[in-house]
Amino acid sequence: MAKVIKSKFQLPLVLTLLILMFFVFVPMISAFEYSIRTPAKGGYGWDSYLWAIRKEEFLYYIIRSTWLAGVTVLITLFVLVPTLTWIHLSNSKVRGLIDGLSLLPLVIPVVAFAVGAQISFPEFVKNTVLELPFLYFVLALPYAYRALDIGLSAIPLKTITEAARSAGANWLRTITSVIIPVIRGSVMATIALTFALSLGEFTLTVLLHWDTFPTWVTYVAQENILGAIAISMMSLILPFLLLTIITLFVPERSTQGRK
Amino acid sequence: MTLQVIEEGAPTRGRAFLASFIKNFLPAAPLLLIVGFFFLFPIARLIYVSFLSNENTFTFSNFATATQEPYRTGFINSIKIGLLSGAIAAFPGAIAAYFIETRGGSKLRRTIAVMSGVLANTGGIPLAFMFYAALGIQGQLTKILKFFGWDLYAGTFSLGSFLGLLIVYLYFQLPLMVIVFSPAIVSLRREWSEAARNLGANQFNYWIRIGIPLLFPSFIASFLLLFASGFSAYATANALTVGNLPLTPLQIGGLLDGNVSASQLNLGKALGVVMILISACAVIPYLAIQRRSARWQK
Amino acid sequence: MSSKSLTLNNISKRFGNVTALDNFNLEVGVGELVALLGPSGCGKTTALRVVAGLEHQDNGTVLVAEKNISDVPAHKRNMGMVFQAYSLFPNLTVEENVAFGLQMRKVNKSVRLKKAHQLLDLVGLDSQSKRFTHQLSGGQQQRVALARALAFEPEILLLDEPLSALDAQVRVNLREEIRRLQLSLGTTTLFVTHDQEEAMAISDRVGVMNQGVLEQIDTPDALYNKPTSSFVAGFVGTMNRIPAQISDGMVEIFGSKVVVLKRGNESGQVVALIRPESISVVANSSQPNAKVLTRSFMGASSNIICQTGDGTIVQSLMTSASTGDLHPGSSVQLRVLSPEVLVANV
Repeated sequence: MAKVIKSKFQLPLVLTLLILMFFVFVPMISAFEYSIRTPAKGGYGWDSYLWAIRKEEFLYYIIRSTWLAGVTVLITLFVLVPTLTWIHLSNSKVRGLIDGLSLLPLVIPVVAFAVGAQISFPEFVKNTVLELPFLYFVLALPYAYRALDIGLSAIPLKTITEAARSAGANWLRTITSVIIPVIRGSVMATIALTFALSLGEFTLTVLLHWDTFPTWVTYVAQENILGAIAISMMSLILPFLLLTIITLFVPERSTQGRK
Repeated sequence: MTLQVIEEGAPTRGRAFLASFIKNFLPAAPLLLIVGFFFLFPIARLIYVSFLSNENTFTFSNFATATQEPYRTGFINSIKIGLLSGAIAAFPGAIAAYFIETRGGSKLRRTIAVMSGVLANTGGIPLAFMFYAALGIQGQLTKILKFFGWDLYAGTFSLGSFLGLLIVYLYFQLPLMVIVFSPAIVSLRREWSEAARNLGANQFNYWIRIGIPLLFPSFIASFLLLFASGFSAYATANALTVGNLPLTPLQIGGLLDGNVSASQLNLGKALGVVMILISACAVIPYLAIQRRSARWQK
Repeated sequence: MSSKSLTLNNISKRFGNVTALDNFNLEVGVGELVALLGPSGCGKTTALRVVAGLEHQDNGTVLVAEKNISDVPAHKRNMGMVFQAYSLFPNLTVEENVAFGLQMRKVNKSVRLKKAHQLLDLVGLDSQSKRFTHQLSGGQQQRVALARALAFEPEILLLDEPLSALDAQVRVNLREEIRRLQLSLGTTTLFVTHDQEEAMAISDRVGVMNQGVLEQIDTPDALYNKPTSSFVAGFVGTMNRIPAQISDGMVEIFGSKVVVLKRGNESGQVVALIRPESISVVANSSQPNAKVLTRSFMGASSNIICQTGDGTIVQSLMTSASTGDLHPGSSVQLRVLSPEVLVANV
């Protein structure tokens, strides 16, 4: 009897969660409180949010950041899914090399990477904002690679591709209509991860003198601090939604790879 | 024509090489090209340029300057804030991960995973705002503490000081620890604790002989990753400090912006290379330990 | 010898709404090897874990040599346990694993290492003593686990499906080895398995469990030949279920009357439970009552599957020598060889 009660009453867990929540939510709620102040009238309201949304740059930078993130996701999927499929099928000698390469961006501080990027590219690359998705791709590579790698390891890839090929599908069709649907959990995780990272990237973007939604807040802060706080609050919600998508689509860890 | 000549000269070898190249490398070409051009090339160029003088001759002088003031203090501060924020976050983070993974239900674990993912990536202006609102001079928590008789700002404290930055860094270091350490907790098999009890070990003995030795490598690995994250954080430091605290990432940023001018054009590159070296000292062991303990986690 | 007897009295254990053990009783004599056999979810593993102290029963008592240990914590119970798999400590070498129990009992190092080597020698792995456990094969790991569970001379040995993760050949070898060791050390042993062949092969007695209750516990021989319930009859070995009408303690099967072995409340329409080896198939009979469907040759014996006129499928096991005239499609006569049969309600 005592055992049942003990397993329901989780003092250490509850305490841990309370301390963590205090630490996490006090700054968040404090900032939120600021963002709904209305100094002119006194009291609270959504004025700062409305002010921010009504600014024409708001939509401009939202759209710009979104399509940059979208391009990053496309690059990631187009490059990684076929490559990883091939690596898993062929057991090629380059596997070790590519595994290592995919982890390398973890080693390089983003600031140092930014310095390298600034001095390396020819003008036609430097002058287009399209360099950003490729650089974001590099930053997301360790996570995206791992997510897809786990997904492909968990399925009988060889059998599936052989079945698809013998049923007459070419490689493109095999990947788009067989492999991607089978590992859709990993693919969704990769999309969400890459998308969230690209949307929120600040250091590289600002050091390469590009303007996106996260760097725009810097200018807003000089103009209207409460508006900037409101924008910051909104930018916190976006990754939260994206990562919720990840966990909805990705199977639990315990169901992966255990034999 | 030339192709034919070559093929006639060494027909089998040439073809075999081509075939093996296609088989072993071609499908990986897009990835290798992008990573090569957008990642390896800039890093290689960074290293190369860091050895160039203003006149484009080979020199060590950039590195010599990089180890002198104020850059020396920058490195010391950056290493210190990486070590301290990592060390302070590691233990509570590990304990939190332990209770969440072993006592929490699956819904709780998923929720925590999502939140940790978001929080570990907060930084820059939004994070600065959150702490200004809570612990700034007019912050809510500051007021509450003052009400209870503790005036945070009585001394030299400010959010842009070393101590202030350290507290702010914990906001993303703690969740990061939960994320990177949780897999190690999950990999502790229930069979091990049960076998230990069955063999006569009490809780203490189990932790001393089995639990802690098994978790220790992952703990160190996680700490190393936290160090690297605190050491190289740029956005948050940039948002909170106003040039009053020398930190390497900020110094590099300043040189890159042209806000700070140095007599040596390539000094920033040398600082970047040293940063990479220091970061590699932490991240490479982290990756090695992760790979090693993956063996048990099967 | 340190071996002791084990008694479980009226053990009940529930997990939420699931009753794992329902007034469960069991006695294991000194030096005896008793297997608990049953389908998954029948409570056999829970019973073992209650004995080990890894689960605490809601009701009932566990006695070792008549002494109540119900509230003794697991680490003070002095029982050796072998888990399904993966229970070896990966941070310790093979010999450190085996010596762990003695280390916990504060035996000094030279003595415990000597004992560990002795046990490793018994399981044929002394040469591997300095290796780490992930360098061993699955079968070797389970041998080490066995050595570890025996090294501190436990009063009782508990085996929780120790062979289920192994390949077929290794499984057969290791089970013989477990039995050999158990007999030579005389350790009282409780062995949980879902594999009846395994249970029958090495146990003194086998207990068949169903839904938290011990249906029957008996020697393998008795369990096979004299099952006391239709669940046991159906679970242990292969059993033909042939519909029949009961009257005056007899049933009529294949046209001849047979005595009903055990009568409970069965009446009217029942099924007779008959082993394949108790049915013979006669070719070229003047009174055919079935047709051969398939005949599978298995060396010394052959398996004949027939279908009777009313559609019942009947399986017969006969020596191969006597099945030469049986071919798929041939009309045959089925006969019951045993003078008595067990019946169950439909």
